[in-house]
Amino acid sequence: MLTLFKARSVITMNPSMPRATAVLVRDGMILEVGEPEHMQAWLEGQEYTVDEQFADNIICPGFIDPHLHPSMAAVLLPMEFITAMRWKLPWGDIEPVTTAEAFDQRMQSLNQTKEPDAPLFIWGYHQLWHGNMSKARIHQVSEQRPIIVWHRSFHELYMNDAAMSMAGIDPAQIRPGMQIDIEQGHFFEVGLGFAINRLNPWILAPEKYAQGLQRLKEVVHHGGHTSIGDLATGLFNFDTEAQALAEQLEGDDVPFRTRLVVHGTRLTQGGRKPEEGPAMAEALRSHNSHRLSFARHIKLFSDGAFFSQLAQMQEPGYIDGHHGEWLAAPEELERHIRAYWQAGYQIHVHVTGDLGLELTLDILQKMQDEKPRFNHGFTFEHFGFSTPEQIRRIKALGAQVSANVYYLHELSDSYAKTGIGYERASQMARLRSCFDAGINTTIHSDFTMAPAEPLNSMWVAVTRQNHAGDVMGSEERLTQQQALEAITINAAHTIGLADITGSLRAGKRADFTVLNQDPLACEPSGLRDIEIAATVFEGKVFPIE
Amino acid sequence: MNAPSASSSTKPVTLIGGYLGAGKTTLINRLLNQPELPSGTAVLVNDFGDVNVDESLIRSESDNGNIIGLSNGCICCSISDDLSQALDQLNTLPIAQVILETSGVAEPARVWQHCHYPGFSPKATVVVVDAVNFHQRSQDKYVGPLVSAQAAQADLLVVSKTELNPRFQFHSLTPQLSGQDANLIDAIVGWQRDFDSSAVTTHTGLSPEFSAHTWYQHDVVSWLDLEANLQTLDSSVQRVKGWIETDEGFMQVDKVGERLSVKRLGPGDKPKLRGLVFIFHVIQNDGARRNPVAAWLAARTA
Repeated sequence: MLTLFKARSVITMNPSMPRATAVLVRDGMILEVGEPEHMQAWLEGQEYTVDEQFADNIICPGFIDPHLHPSMAAVLLPMEFITAMRWKLPWGDIEPVTTAEAFDQRMQSLNQTKEPDAPLFIWGYHQLWHGNMSKARIHQVSEQRPIIVWHRSFHELYMNDAAMSMAGIDPAQIRPGMQIDIEQGHFFEVGLGFAINRLNPWILAPEKYAQGLQRLKEVVHHGGHTSIGDLATGLFNFDTEAQALAEQLEGDDVPFRTRLVVHGTRLTQGGRKPEEGPAMAEALRSHNSHRLSFARHIKLFSDGAFFSQLAQMQEPGYIDGHHGEWLAAPEELERHIRAYWQAGYQIHVHVTGDLGLELTLDILQKMQDEKPRFNHGFTFEHFGFSTPEQIRRIKALGAQVSANVYYLHELSDSYAKTGIGYERASQMARLRSCFDAGINTTIHSDFTMAPAEPLNSMWVAVTRQNHAGDVMGSEERLTQQQALEAITINAAHTIGLADITGSLRAGKRADFTVLNQDPLACEPSGLRDIEIAATVFEGKVFPIE
Repeated sequence: MNAPSASSSTKPVTLIGGYLGAGKTTLINRLLNQPELPSGTAVLVNDFGDVNVDESLIRSESDNGNIIGLSNGCICCSISDDLSQALDQLNTLPIAQVILETSGVAEPARVWQHCHYPGFSPKATVVVVDAVNFHQRSQDKYVGPLVSAQAAQADLLVVSKTELNPRFQFHSLTPQLSGQDANLIDAIVGWQRDFDSSAVTTHTGLSPEFSAHTWYQHDVVSWLDLEANLQTLDSSVQRVKGWIETDEGFMQVDKVGERLSVKRLGPGDKPKLRGLVFIFHVIQNDGARRNPVAAWLAARTA
């Protein structure tokens, strides 16, 4: 059975024929993209339907987020969001809450609508907008219902007495110096670990986790994705995750595929040598199913969390003189990279600061000297800070970039003032330079670090507008064409799916994202508000609302 | 077991820090082999790379310690925190004190904060500094600030590998111990009392005399050959321990001095690693510093 999808316009991302008006599909595969009058040869003597439901829409290649974390998302998504930034979620847009009063009102209304006695987990609090949080403030909302207010960074939380008693936390056990301020109900860093161990029955319970993955499925669909990359499978526990992913993200009702990239250091922890890693990773491919697949990709880590100012920075470093963190000793990182480089893997390295990038570039240079490889796909993930000189090295060494461009939106203002100064803060996510150098470059959300909305990422990359409304580093703005490449074909290259998706041409899977407006012709400022009518995954239509 | 001191209901935690390869595991192995080490001492070791190989070996070597492996990570990236979980676990056990090996890339001051955990309190930070590599590392563009910070945050510095670099400028390191700082001295003296570290603080002050060599097995070996070969090891090798796959099956090998004990593992008993750890005196009888194991292995695997 053939289906001829007609559209106002089809954006193909195939440079040989950028635009068309129809796509002919059989069994989930594209037979031809072009004009209906050229497709008669396929149709003669065949049964076919003409699908005109998208006749007024724009068909794009299915969007791809090449780096997010389904397992993290599964923990977070069952919580209620109260955030300073906008989040579009399938069950309702989260409008920005930017004052203390509005935060309290929102807590109140959640308290009133939620079934009695159920604990209320809230995520997204940030003192910059929401004022100082305290137990007393939560008690004004409720003293009976356990309420947990989680910081946007995930590094601290506040609880009321009811929540502490639910979790079995005895205030008498708590002493000064524990990074727990029991009077304020505040748990941070170490104290947070203590609290989480006691809250785990509520946040990591299997049914919660399954519910979270169901919500993730909706979020991914709602964002218009037809492919995603899970860029650290095995983050919590490999077997639990693999089983849950197979249960929740495989099946005819799942409108996207997931490229699973295993967490390299977790894979070999517990006494296995990094050199054993490639064989262990190879064995994981026996788990592959239609939508979930491992390939010869591995995830490794260089420097610390961007949101916590633990990125490793070259001189002149941070304004206050603190240093970032290494997530592994440089020698260890090199040893892991060597094991997978020698085995022919595509290596994805988490790098956040320009010193983390420099180290990883040095290691890549060493690998190229030891065993030159072409088309190796070595990818710098996150790519917070960089220098123009490093862009040249990335190109020269044949590597590619997958950037979290949302850092620029949410953090460039505060990092300019309290982190590293204006010049470097305005040049985070140096993406135009990557495109100009001919580096394959994609953008991702690292969800839940940023909203899993490719159009929002595209909007940030094109406008470089931060949350305060300032344009940061205007020379690094992408064109709309480049930004759309970033979330389609370039992303497909990054996670090894370019042979089947990322653009629309004969022979690829029929993965579309159907928009109400043309993302290459609209005003840049309107990109993030373009409505997504539906996605099509392998020829099957999945409407959105 | 030693009861925790009456003045406090919290269990003291002594941190062992230092960069990758500085000798933290060697030092911990030494401590575990001190007969004076009080029972009820739990050891938390960092689970990274090779160190973990040693972990399973020190685990079985020490009957009086609880050893728990840790891995690195950030709570916002994993919703879990190995150290908190390990400490919660230890809280349920009848232990008196904890030795905590930090990750090679950790700043002890940050881990110190973690030891203010319900039921525990930080006691002292011992940092192992490698006399051979320290100065170069402290200038390194990637780890220089980290390695310097590690040394600066120590209550007690243990300098390893001094025999390879006798001119090591200990006094160039901070902190300088100060007689005026009563709390600091108390912390260290307390640490020494608990663990009787006289063997650690040798004449140079601070040089471990022993070293460990880990050998990983790749091919199945003949048991008869191995048994004979083990008898030819240099007498400076104090201890050999590990699991080996032989033509007669898996063997657990444990050699203390001249005495070799061997346990044949059952068919279902597969060790998680294959290899041997050799612990030897770094200074030979003739006063020279050699690794007797490397030569022995080279002669047998050639």
